Amino acid sequence: MSPQTNPETDPAESSGGNADPDVTSAGPTPEPDATESDEPGSGTSEPDPSFADTGISTGAQSGEPDETEPADAAEVPVDCPSCGATVPAVTFCEECGARLDEEPDDTLTPVRGMPLPCPQCGCTSFADGYCDQCGGRAPQPRDHLEEAPTAWVAGVCDRGVTHTRNEDSQAMVASTEPGRFAALVVCDGVSSVPRSDEASQAAARAAVTVLGPPRAAFSETSGEAPATSEPDWAVLLVAAARAGNDAVAQVAGPAELSGHNCPSCTFVAAVVDSGRIAAASVGDSRAYWLPDSGTASALTTDDSWAQEMIAAGMTREQAERAPQAHAITRWLGPDAPPVDPPVTFCEPDGPGWLCVCSDGLWNYCSEADDLSRLVHEQATAHGDDPLDTARALVDWVNARGGRDNVTVVLARLGSPTR
Amino acid sequence: MATFSTEVFSNEFLAEGATDVHAIVQVECSGAGTAGGGTGRAAAEIVIIDTSGSMTGEKLAAAKRAASVAVDQIVDGTWFAVIGGSHLAHRIFPYPNARLAMVPMESGARAEAQRAIAAVRATGGTAMSTWLDLAEETFAAAPTTQRHAILLTDGKNESEPVDQLRQVLARVEGSFQCDARGVGQNWVVSELRSIASTLLGEVALIADPADLAADFEAVMRASMARGVPDVRMRVWTPQGARLLFVRRVAPTVEDLTPKAVTVSELIREIDTGDWGDEERDYHVAVRVPSRPVGTEQLAARFQVVVGGEVQASGLVKARWSSDAHLTARISPEVAHYTGQAELAEAIQEGLAAKAAGDEGTATLRLGRAVQLAHETGNDEATSKLRKVVEVDDEERGTVRLRREATRLDEMALDTASTKTSRVRR
Repeated sequence: MSPQTNPETDPAESSGGNADPDVTSAGPTPEPDATESDEPGSGTSEPDPSFADTGISTGAQSGEPDETEPADAAEVPVDCPSCGATVPAVTFCEECGARLDEEPDDTLTPVRGMPLPCPQCGCTSFADGYCDQCGGRAPQPRDHLEEAPTAWVAGVCDRGVTHTRNEDSQAMVASTEPGRFAALVVCDGVSSVPRSDEASQAAARAAVTVLGPPRAAFSETSGEAPATSEPDWAVLLVAAARAGNDAVAQVAGPAELSGHNCPSCTFVAAVVDSGRIAAASVGDSRAYWLPDSGTASALTTDDSWAQEMIAAGMTREQAERAPQAHAITRWLGPDAPPVDPPVTFCEPDGPGWLCVCSDGLWNYCSEADDLSRLVHEQATAHGDDPLDTARALVDWVNARGGRDNVTVVLARLGSPTR
Repeated sequence: MATFSTEVFSNEFLAEGATDVHAIVQVECSGAGTAGGGTGRAAAEIVIIDTSGSMTGEKLAAAKRAASVAVDQIVDGTWFAVIGGSHLAHRIFPYPNARLAMVPMESGARAEAQRAIAAVRATGGTAMSTWLDLAEETFAAAPTTQRHAILLTDGKNESEPVDQLRQVLARVEGSFQCDARGVGQNWVVSELRSIASTLLGEVALIADPADLAADFEAVMRASMARGVPDVRMRVWTPQGARLLFVRRVAPTVEDLTPKAVTVSELIREIDTGDWGDEERDYHVAVRVPSRPVGTEQLAARFQVVVGGEVQASGLVKARWSSDAHLTARISPEVAHYTGQAELAEAIQEGLAAKAAGDEGTATLRLGRAVQLAHETGNDEATSKLRKVVEVDDEERGTVRLRREATRLDEMALDTASTKTSRVRR
């Protein structure tokens, strides 16, 4: 099924329910909390807006999807300042951007407080952020970040090879139940302006907060009562882009606001709601739907010089190879033109991969069909595990030179994960 | 309490395969206070004046006036002495028969010292090593390590073998600081420069004896304002790197590489003497092994160390990049001071060639100096050069040697050759 772009369309009306029997259904109604409140062990028939009770998790979990207990997500709940819903406090490490509500996992991230050895000489003594012996830069946690909130969603965000700093950011939330709900966001900091690493991080967090379950579970107008209508992703994705834009403006200092050197970043977000996908982007980060069979498609259109040239008749290959190909024509930032992105909807009719990525990946594999082959190849080699597959894709990029920061966020749709 | 700050200027981006990192490190000290103040120990000052036979007359009178003015400037409580030098050195004050070689300054001692200075007569030859020897011996009598001397001469160091001065300088290096002043035109710039440079001081020409007193006053006032003794620059370079050079580039150019003492495999330290409220700029050049594009590393850490404590730190970084726009840039500060260092060299080589009768080399080198002074906006060098050469084309550095240039003009140019202009912002 090819994606259609229509910001005015209500996804609930346009999709008309879940058309694909293979996609694990969220229940009789597409509203997440309505099903979860019926779960045994939830202890209440009242809808509970916490992530745990909606079956939405933000941290790495290994348990069975349906065994999620409210006690498992024992974060201190807070009231959302924008919608009033009570949500678990989700905090991020100010240093590396890692989510602090994750269970520490030695295989994913370094044990905090233990210095990583210098990658060049193995020495563990650092001063001023550099190795005492060889002067090599001390390893930064942000150089490589991994997230796997559930078994079917994972992302890897990596510095790459030739850049000295990772200015990409990722943020995601997902339900434990495969295919029911996920919001995936990738932002790529514009490296020619200062503090774009902070900009991308702020934007990704702000955007995922807008898209995350509290809003998804409740109507826009009331923070208290469960909504009867589906979330309007055409509206929410635009709201997410705006929230990201506002967050970037918060990052910019007064001096930057007055000049032409404002922190800036791209934005791409994709939402999975009961197996259906909605996506939007500003700049040249992308979302792709890569079905196991059938034609792969890009769900977003770049705002870039290359895209303008393609629109004018140049071949994609030619346009993307030009030196100015990466000049983006829209971005998030205080000096940005209006950020409201067009929203694309896609109803998968079979299993496949939703891939949200920065140009660090598609630089090496731009055409949707080529990327689809690549992702499926790697996925097959890694037992369809999203985290292993995302890692493998990042390794694949870095083996080819890693000319840019690279972020790959994957969601496996339409087949049970192991 | 004195505070130090550093600022590093460099283009940290290196092209693939590049190995050399250049940086200008500006070091600024503020709140230095007064010499001997705050440290709980007094400072020590010695005034050394030439009392050889050639000084007789106007020059001796001016030197005595200058010494007297210097004594006026010495802050009470500072240990002090006055030395007279000819082919031998003798103590003028405290009187040679006094029990103490140095006494703390107070009004009685000041008046008595000035009386002793007034009674000095000129006689004998010139052997400066004996002056420095006696100064060192005298300083040993004062219970302080902050020691400064000012040395004045009017002539060539002719009463001893050349090596004698060199040997004594090597021996007394580090035990006191010394500014050197030459009056008239019969002294040798390179001799006084070697004294000043070894003993962390400055050399200057006083063409007119009448200007001596004002100069001594300024030198002594500056010395008394150096409230931070024993300041060291510590340079860390990574394993496998080579420190190509460390050069002070402002206020004057001097290669400090030979003065760098190895503290450990990766650390060198340079004694920069006592500091007042001032700014000194350093040019550091390090050769590091080339790293892959995208790698960032620390190429040098430049630290200000006082009494073993790090007061300020400047980081010199290297980042390999494939972006030619980034790697092709030259830091304006590095370019400026590279030009200033070459300017000093061109002036000194040009004047040496001229003295040796090699007019071709002299014209070429002084022409280059004119060009560099113009490019780097060193107006003082330009005006002094113009007294020695006729400038045909400043931008191209085409010059002719002036026949009527006096020895004083050449000495003034030579002495001031190491003075740099600050980088234009």
